[in-house]
Amino acid sequence: MSGGKILYPVWLGVLGVALLAGAVAGIYIFVQGHVLFNANDVLIWTLPLAVYIFLALSSSGLTLLSALPLVFGVKKYEPLAKRLVFLAIATLCGGFVAIGLELGTVFNMIYIMLSPNLSSPIWWMGAIYSAELAVLIVKFWKMHTGDFHSGFSRFLGTASFVLALIAPLMIGSVFGLTESRATYFGPVMSIYCLLMAVLSGTALFLLYDMVGGRLSAGAAADAAGRSVQDDFTRILTYTAGIVAAFTVLKTLIESATTIPAFLVYHKFEHLFGAVGNFGTEVIFGLFLPFVLLVIPSVRASARGRMLAAALIFAGSLARHTEILLAGQSHPVGPKAEQFPQYVRYLPSGWELMVLVFALAVMLTLYTLGERYLKLTEAPKA
Amino acid sequence: MPRYAMVIDLQRCVGCGACSIACRNENNVQEGVYWSNKITETVGTFPNVRYHYIPTLCNHCGAAPCVRGCPTKAMHKLENGLTMHDPKKCIGCKYCEFNCPYGVIYFNWEKPHKFWRSEEAVIPGATSSPKELVEKVGAQGTPYVNTERTGTSATLRPKGIVEKCTFCDHRLARKQLPYCVEACPANARIFGDISDPKSEVSVLLGKFHPFRLREELGTDPHVFYIRGYNPARYRATKGGV
Ligand code: SF4
Ligand code: SF4
Repeated sequence: MSGGKILYPVWLGVLGVALLAGAVAGIYIFVQGHVLFNANDVLIWTLPLAVYIFLALSSSGLTLLSALPLVFGVKKYEPLAKRLVFLAIATLCGGFVAIGLELGTVFNMIYIMLSPNLSSPIWWMGAIYSAELAVLIVKFWKMHTGDFHSGFSRFLGTASFVLALIAPLMIGSVFGLTESRATYFGPVMSIYCLLMAVLSGTALFLLYDMVGGRLSAGAAADAAGRSVQDDFTRILTYTAGIVAAFTVLKTLIESATTIPAFLVYHKFEHLFGAVGNFGTEVIFGLFLPFVLLVIPSVRASARGRMLAAALIFAGSLARHTEILLAGQSHPVGPKAEQFPQYVRYLPSGWELMVLVFALAVMLTLYTLGERYLKLTEAPKA
Repeated sequence: MPRYAMVIDLQRCVGCGACSIACRNENNVQEGVYWSNKITETVGTFPNVRYHYIPTLCNHCGAAPCVRGCPTKAMHKLENGLTMHDPKKCIGCKYCEFNCPYGVIYFNWEKPHKFWRSEEAVIPGATSSPKELVEKVGAQGTPYVNTERTGTSATLRPKGIVEKCTFCDHRLARKQLPYCVEACPANARIFGDISDPKSEVSVLLGKFHPFRLREELGTDPHVFYIRGYNPARYRATKGGV
């Protein structure tokens, strides 16, 4: 624990500074408006929305993992259930910080409740994620008070599982249901978001478990902990493989099609550069970690896993950002009169502060939860 | 209940942009935002080139993607076919702007009419600042603000929400034509009730083969284009091999 003892106050200090800076930036963004973002009437949604998508999907992934013990009764994972649910809550809170700062006005939020539009994927996305947060909090409270298995507690586990399954589909449909942008691939985007939820959620949990285990030299080092890590690494490998195959297929279709929207799309300038039609973030944030995970010796080593999980996690944010930007990079209709044919993007300092604030909220909650909420508690046998 | 629609006669349109200027004045539209706009295109290879000009505005679509996607119903349809926006309900999520296939919705990234908020004199020591001028004439936002716009839409749309053309609903309520129609010197914009077979718009749509923008999307736009401006002549020919 000695390493942890030195690091802990430093870590709290870093979080404190990040939270304070994020809060100040947030207030300034509300006062000045989104003119502080490098967004415009062509690139309507930028990094802050990508951060939301990334964290909300990661939260759904964590909730889906928590369903293994809570819904499907896999006993081996019961000691993880409480932590998984807590991480899902904290990650979603980070996501809500990002979407809160992405909205033009939160003062009118009341109308989302008073004047719901049931044909709007955004409404459903908001409603489902709000419901998911509420269900997860109650479920966590139940587990915290020792109730893992009562009928109501089970119902909450099942409800959070179903919500976590639907929520990524709704995020995907926000993009997939738009007539004007064929490059988002319609309903396929929903499936992609569900896969990405499992991928980034699993990577996040593995990272958390390994970093936490190293700091405390506790749970992760024992045999049971290792076996769980082996299983989750396997889930990560399979999901990375499926997402990689999906990405290759999508890229091949994009390259081959002659639909005009895609011809414009090809000229998108990748934020992180590209090799051929594959963005750097796909190569280093998906293909490379997948290859690493496939190699048995790397998969078995703690460092190899940590590297792969970190690459996948960071790569997921980068991929969400790229997909979001690529579909909006060219002006629609008369906006071509005002804007260049392809709009470039680099996030502004304020947009990066949204990322910092969202991550700081998430990590502070992780830290406090780990300290005070007995996250490794499992039901008594 | 009428169903309003507009016909734009591209043979009459001279591309002068009077519609856009009139719209700006009538609806207090700020710099960078276009309720009335245009699509221009230059085709061919020199010296055989032509310039095409298509005026654009909100199409008040029958199946409007902006309305379907709006989470708060801020973007909504009226019975007379108008697609309207309620600034009080809008949360500025920009989904309507993302969803509109015609690029006619704009977001207010900051407090509107930046120019008129400036405290710097246009010519230092000689003229007043834009802000002083606005205060002097006792106006709101701009010295030429049109308060008749107030009512169904905000006089000046605040930061953090979207805005777009309303077919001048405030004028329609007073039995006046949209201001772009009124201002067009070439009578290229014809407005009316498409549900009435005797209206001017219905007559024109029967007479000419109209087209609508991105019709294949099934959004049922209610701005129709007829004819095309092209005085070019050419000698009758069968081409050659
Ligand atoms: S043109 Fe765009 S803003 Fe106007 S009704 Fe159609 S989808 Fe909505
Ligand atoms: S920006 Fe406003 S009008 Fe547009 S979809 Fe969002 S809430 Fe509706």
